Amino acid sequence: MENKRRAFIKYLSVGSVGVGVASYSNLLAKTQPSQDETKDKKPHFGMIFDQNKCVGCTDCERACKKVNLVPKDQMRLYVQDKTDPQKRMEKRYVRVSCQQCVDAPCVKVCPTKACHKDENGITTMNTDDCIACKYCIVACPYDVRFINEETKSAESCNFCADTNLKDGHEPACVEACKYEALVFGDLNDENSYISKMLNVKDSLRMRPECGTNPSLRYIPVVKLGV
Amino acid sequence: MNSAINYTYTFSHGVEWGWPIAVYLLLAGMSGGALIVSILIRHYKKQEASTPLFKAASLLAFVTIMLGMVCLVGDLDKPLYFWKILINYNFNSVMSIGVLALCIYIPLSFVMVLYAFEDEILELLSKRFTFLKGLFVTVMQILNKIRPLVNALCIAFAVIVCAYTGFLISVLVRFPLLNTAVLPALFVASGLSAGIAGSSLLAALCFKEDHHSNDLKTLHKIEWPVMAVEIMLLGMIFVSLIIGSDAQKAASAAFCGGAWSGLFWVGVVGIGFCLPIVLNFLLGKKVASSNLAFYVSSFASVIGVLLLRIFIVYAGQTYDIFI
Ligand code: SF4
Ligand code: SF4
Ligand code: SF4
Repeated sequence: MENKRRAFIKYLSVGSVGVGVASYSNLLAKTQPSQDETKDKKPHFGMIFDQNKCVGCTDCERACKKVNLVPKDQMRLYVQDKTDPQKRMEKRYVRVSCQQCVDAPCVKVCPTKACHKDENGITTMNTDDCIACKYCIVACPYDVRFINEETKSAESCNFCADTNLKDGHEPACVEACKYEALVFGDLNDENSYISKMLNVKDSLRMRPECGTNPSLRYIPVVKLGV
Repeated sequence: MNSAINYTYTFSHGVEWGWPIAVYLLLAGMSGGALIVSILIRHYKKQEASTPLFKAASLLAFVTIMLGMVCLVGDLDKPLYFWKILINYNFNSVMSIGVLALCIYIPLSFVMVLYAFEDEILELLSKRFTFLKGLFVTVMQILNKIRPLVNALCIAFAVIVCAYTGFLISVLVRFPLLNTAVLPALFVASGLSAGIAGSSLLAALCFKEDHHSNDLKTLHKIEWPVMAVEIMLLGMIFVSLIIGSDAQKAASAAFCGGAWSGLFWVGVVGIGFCLPIVLNFLLGKKVASSNLAFYVSSFASVIGVLLLRIFIVYAGQTYDIFI
């Protein structure tokens, strides 16, 4: 009850943004508190990639490599140019990286628990326990894991859990993005910027049919052709 | 809207699980299959002595599963860390469950070898390592008392080992060809097929079993229904692909027109299914009962199952949901 009322007040405060968008977000707001309650307000980190703002500068890629010591010709994060060859003027970029699934197949299949969820619910790695069986790599429906050439262990984006985040910073890619195309924060905190964003914007999860419940959201460019 | 957001660049480039895994899948299936049929035949015919077939099957089962372990561990990028899998169990992982099953299955298959070669080992021990003889006799006394239990456990774990190799790869949602419910059943059936062919081959070659002996005739009889089941399961996979989603339709190229379809038709169907059928049914009684037909068709069956595993592993990982 309490939650519903809060959701309602929040709804009123942001409601002026647009009835269509807000009613959609209200749907989300109604389904999410049940998750919050069971998790007892533990953080659930998520990220938004806004296609409307990304210009494809790849600063995020470079920052990631530097902070997380990713070997030279490997990457945890890649910005793919998905511009339609028919419409060269409408640039579109997509972030390729771990989707931080809530129901993560990589965690489920790892026989040594090297790939696991940390105390913040982030999918991350314990490099020493990995035997490099590559099961997590083939199990990930997003194909974003790889064996690090130097550590010989599997890895993928972990929101800089053991680097920037541990030191109280935002993930390297978010810090590096000059265009605010990336938003990072706690989805369980109603007052976080990311929660507010998701309340007012339509966002997509990648491949929902895989049933992995990703924490990475995409805001697509929608051209109505005016 | 989705097509602009769905990326197609990915981080694993190509096939992550290669031929060592395919060979392991063959060896594990063959090992389990050999034990299942040989124990069932003994039970069914109420045999007491160690028949050539039982000797061949138990030896084959133990040797193949050990070679399989070599392939499995050798395929890890950090093989020296293999023991981590034994102390950090994850009961959600098919691989952990499989390793646990193997930890029970491998000793069981070794006990089968002891049963099969009890007399031979005893003879060897009385000649050479006489100090071990007493120990061996005591151990065998205990083992022989619990033989029915060991047999039952052995069949159960042999089925688990065959099936888990299928579940291992059928949980991979990214690959439409692999992510089907019938794959574990296909792996049990083709494991049986390889086990039957492999153990009759070994029985004839090493243990001088006559090709027309009673046991081999029985094996020969069950060979064909098993093959029919295999063909049916492959057909089910194919149908589920062509009537499925776009990604599934694209993956049906594995069977028709794609890079791996040649391997399927020539290797799996031609060598694995057609060659034995032609030799045994279409060329008349004389050819069918010849030595040549026996060896060639058994050998072709084993090769066919190997090629099926290679096909599943490689074609399976070639067609993913990124289209
Ligand atoms: S996107 Fe892949 S690597 Fe990331 S949590 Fe999901 S399954 Fe694991
Ligand atoms: S490669 Fe490493 S992290 Fe991935 S499943 Fe195997 S042991 Fe786990
Ligand atoms: S830094 Fe920002 S704008 Fe540049 S490619 Fe990365 S997400 Fe896009």
